[in-house]
Order: sequence, then C-alpha cells, then structure tokens
Amino acid sequence: MADLLQIDGLRTVFRSPSGDVPAVDGVSLSVARGKTLGIVGESGCGKSMLSLSVMRLVPSPGRVAAGRVVFDSQDLLALAPRAMRAVRGNRIGMIFQEPMTSLNPVFTVGDQITEAMRAHDPGASEAALRARGVAALDRVRIPGAARRFDDYPHQMSGGMRQRVMIAMALSCDPDLLIADEPTTALDVTVQAQILDLLRDLQAQSGMAIILITHDLGVVAEMADEVAVMYAGRVVERASGTAIFDDPQHPYTLGLLGSIPRIEETRSRLLAIEGSVPAPFALPEGCRFHPRCVFAAPACTRVDPPLRGLGADHQAACIRAPVEDLAA
Amino acid sequence: MQVAGLAKHYPIRRGLVLSRTVGQVRAVDGLSFELFRGETLALVGESGCGKSTTARLVLRLIDPTAGTVRFEGADITNLRGDAMRRLRRRMQIVFQDPFASLNPRMTVAEILEEPLIVHGIGDGAARRARMAELLGLVGLAPYHAGRYPHEFSGGQRQRIGIARALAVEPALVVCDEPVSALDVSIQAQVVNLLKDLQARLGLSYLFIAHDLAVVKHVADRVAVMYLGRIVEIGPKDAVFANPRHPYTRVLLAAIPRPDPHRKLARSAAPGDPGGDMPSPANVPPGCRFHTRCPFAIDRCRTEDPALHDIEPGHFSACHLAEDLPPMAAMEAAQAATPAAARRLALYADRRAAQQVAG
Repeated sequence: MADLLQIDGLRTVFRSPSGDVPAVDGVSLSVARGKTLGIVGESGCGKSMLSLSVMRLVPSPGRVAAGRVVFDSQDLLALAPRAMRAVRGNRIGMIFQEPMTSLNPVFTVGDQITEAMRAHDPGASEAALRARGVAALDRVRIPGAARRFDDYPHQMSGGMRQRVMIAMALSCDPDLLIADEPTTALDVTVQAQILDLLRDLQAQSGMAIILITHDLGVVAEMADEVAVMYAGRVVERASGTAIFDDPQHPYTLGLLGSIPRIEETRSRLLAIEGSVPAPFALPEGCRFHPRCVFAAPACTRVDPPLRGLGADHQAACIRAPVEDLAA
Repeated sequence: MQVAGLAKHYPIRRGLVLSRTVGQVRAVDGLSFELFRGETLALVGESGCGKSTTARLVLRLIDPTAGTVRFEGADITNLRGDAMRRLRRRMQIVFQDPFASLNPRMTVAEILEEPLIVHGIGDGAARRARMAELLGLVGLAPYHAGRYPHEFSGGQRQRIGIARALAVEPALVVCDEPVSALDVSIQAQVVNLLKDLQARLGLSYLFIAHDLAVVKHVADRVAVMYLGRIVEIGPKDAVFANPRHPYTRVLLAAIPRPDPHRKLARSAAPGDPGGDMPSPANVPPGCRFHTRCPFAIDRCRTEDPALHDIEPGHFSACHLAEDLPPMAAMEAAQAATPAAARRLALYADRRAAQQVAG
C-alpha cells in the first residue's frame, strides 16, 4: 500500500536581499495510514516550516521552491487554491503549540468548532451543528461538553483549550493530523492526558499523525517512525525504537546525551557545544560539523547524503557508525 | 534561610464603586522550609501551584500575608530601606525568559554594570575588571561586552542573565525556571554551568522548575508543591526512589521517558485519574489533592493532612504516606542497548578530550 503522505525533495526558501535562504532543504519523508511520524529537532531546524509547506501555508516571503508533496496520490503543491482548501481542514487537520493564542478570545468555543463544519457543509442546521460540536468536544473527553460548548476560551484551562483545538482539527475526520508541539506549553500531567487522548483517537479512526516536537520523551511514547532534523535537513531516519536503541548520527547522540533522565545517576549532561547555525550562514560541508565531536577534515568539504545503515535506518554522516573510528 | 508559615493571599474584589472582598486566592498557603548554605533546593509543581509566588516572597519582592523569612540568621520579613537594599546584594534571581528579562537597549556591559552601580561597588576600572571576570565565569568572551541582547542566542542570553545575578556576589540565587525556555542541547549547557558555578562559588540555589528530570540533575533536596502547599519534601534520592505522596507519583509517572520500550507499560499503569488542579480561589476541604487522588479515603475529604516525617529529612503531607504501595513503575530503569551505550560513551570521551584540548 502506498503511503498516505509522501514528501519528496522538499525545499522551502525565504527571499532575502542576499538571495534565497533555505528553511527546509531537500527533505524526503513519508507516513502511512494509522502510523505516527515523529519529527524531532531544535528551534530553527525547519520542522515547523516543513509542516506549513505541506499545508501550503508558508508565510511570505517564503515559498516552496522545489519538491513534491503527494497526499493520497495527488500532488498538493500542484493543486488549485480552491482544491487545496478542500484538503486543508477536511482531510488534513493541524494543531499548534499555543492553545492560548490559537483560539479567538471573543467567540465561544462552540462557535469556533462549528465554524469549520459550517464551511465544509453549508446546508447543515444550527441544531445539527450544535449536536456535532458537542459530540466533538465529548470525543476529546471534555467533561460536561454540552455546558462547555458555550464557554469562552478564557474560561478554560490550557489543557482544555488544547482539547478544543484537537476537537476542531478532528471535526472533519481528517486522514492526517499534523501536531506541531501540541503539548509543549502544558504541564506534564496534562501532557500525559493529551498524548493518551491522541493515541486513543488514532486507534479509533486510523488517522496518520505527524508529530513535531523537540522532546525525545514524547517521541519515544508516540512515534512509529522518527526523523531527526538539523538545519533544514533530515540527518537521521529510523523506527521509533531504533532511534533510541541504535542511534547513528552524532547529532542524535548529542540530543540523547543532553536529556536529563530521571532514572540516571550520571550527574553531568553531555550537551552539544555551540548552537544551531542560522539558515543564511550555513557551514560548508556537513552542516553539523562545527559542533560535532567526531568531525574529520572530510566533514568540512563533503555534504553527506542520507545513506542506509541497516533496515529502514538512514543517517547523513560519513563517520557513522562511530564505534568503527575507535578501532 | 528558613521560611516558616509563609502565606500570600490575594483578595478577590467585586464591584466598581463599592468594592468588597468576596474571596481569597490562596497562592501560597502556609509554607515552611529550610535552605542550607551551598545546597540546591528545588521547588517543583505545575502551573498555578504557587512556586513563582514563593520565589518572589522569599526575595521580598512582594510582602507576605503571614509567616516569616529568615536569611543568614536574621528575620528579613519586615526589613525596609537601606537594610533591605543591603540584603538585595546577598540574594539574586535568574528569570525564565532570557528574551524578556534583558533590556534590549542596553549593551551587555551596561546590563552587567548596572547592579554594581546600584550597589555602589567599585570605581569604573574595578567594575570593568569585574565585568570581564563575569563574562569569563559564564563562558562568554570579553568582546561580547559591547553587544546587545538581540545579537545572542537564547542560551547565551541566559548566561548573561546568570552573570548579572552573580555580579554583586550573592549567597543565594533564586532560579525561576532558568532552562525551560531553552532547547534541550542548550538546556544541558546551562544546567552544567549552574552546577559548575555552585561548586566554584559556594552558592545556594532555590531552583524553581516544573521539569522533574532537570530537577533530578541539579537538586540536593526537592520540595513538591500543590495548591500553595508543600506536599512532600526530602533528599532528592529519597523523593525520586520512594515517593510518599500520591501527587509526586502522578508527576513522576507523567514524564515522557526517552525509552520506546516503556510505551506499552505506561498506558497500562494506573496514573492520574485526570482533571486539572483546582483553582487556588476555591481550595477543596480536607486534603487539597483528594479530588484527583487515586488513593483517597473518607478521612482525606475532611481532614487536612500535616507534613510529617517518613524517614529522617523526608516529609510527606498524606494520611496514607506510610501505607502507599511501593512504586514499581519507577524502578523499571531503562538500560540503554549496548550499541547506544557504546556510542554515547564514545561521545562523552571525545567531548572530554576536546574540552581538555580547548
């Protein structure tokens, strides 16, 4: 079976006085129905721009310069704006990081949930819309959904607001849900509830999820496939278990070493020196080499492509696997 | 530092002309703890539990409704004027948001010099020498002094915030979520820096955080807060290995672990029955946590439990603290696979070698 979404050589650039600056630079990924693809990376790695490119919502002066985004065997980048609007919201839903700012404070949550339903189904009666809106709130386990329907966003907690956002994204039964840092602004206990909810909803509906996050813990709990991004590129692709059990790229190793773990007694974190390069000042050769502890002279010249390192496992590093260097 | 019975209540007022008080928001409600010299005490809890209010009370940035704060042996609860200003030299704060807490119109040199001028420390030359020293201390270069905050990344800005706090040589630094706005790899750099500075300068930290994994790495002792109260406090290892309050367990169980093999185990484990923290304007009777507690019994609904000791130095405010079942899920520590462990060890070796060379 073909994958639900296939991204091929996607390149998204921003126009600047000194030429095009790439935010996403030759990314190829895919996600199958019912599966979760986790995209991990730090701020500025291009993961949010990637998802906006899929939705064709890249803000000006950015544009998709190359590549294909094939969703259910149609190329989204070639669709007419009208046809794209039918896909957006209807077949691909999206939720954002900030449940505080993504909802309009002057409308009730009920108004906002039914807005999309009304747009996609102009003939529906008010009563029918209300019933569907309440059902949508119920589905994301908002207690007292019928009563909460008439609440304004400020009357709800952060977790409840994020549930409303999920309810809105799911109101048209999308085949694909893009979740951009859906739990980052939430407390841990609320985060756990939201992740549980997403897992259950996926099991019921068989939708695919693209989960964008900087938190490897969230990835471990959710993702079937993982792509690690750095400076606009995918530097490692593997299954959700292999990325932790068999990490190959030095950047992935650095990320794994940076996370404080509750179980561990090691008192010093490994950390990665330096910070992510700006997209207009990318280093020559491998983009990670200035921060890489395994960098060799060749790394400053060769921009490494993704290459296979075991079944369904690829990394863009000429030095991997790193244990061979010690010998 | 000793804090006893500290409380901060905010009145809720109604009516524009004839305003009357209709209730109290009990942001902090009877808090007692001690902070020893050279140690790190972490205050953890979810948003709205009162941890930031506590930080501001301890620093005397706001005045408490009740309770006392003693610092280096003296009661500072009612200090005013000059005495208060002298005290400010001894306690400083590092803020959460490195983007909002530095004045964008001041250069780094001006930012670092300001506290020295305010407290009348040194002359021009001495202040410049101190600035260079501070920049070195937090891992920045002397040429950074002439730059503005927008020229720095988040991690570097947080280093500037730390340097500013250290400028007046404080004994206590309150760190209010110092790394939660940073990327993971940068978080690790800043956490390491804070630990190094503590070792070199003998600082005491009151470390406020919601991320228990970060706390595990920096703290000596941990205090867990819920609705304005401490519900459990003790040495880090005791609290993490043997949590004796159901809320601590809920928090620990909720942390997403970077271990894919735990995925199935977690969804099967009994955890948080759900729900949000009640509003501090409407604190439940009895134990504050009983509305969310999986172990709650009738007594919990009526009788407010006091903090009592479980073992030396380890206190819990739960009627059932002694009777809670052992926490099995926590002990299932993940072992990295040999391949991953070998590569991480190589990474660590290389880094250590580079740091020696650099």
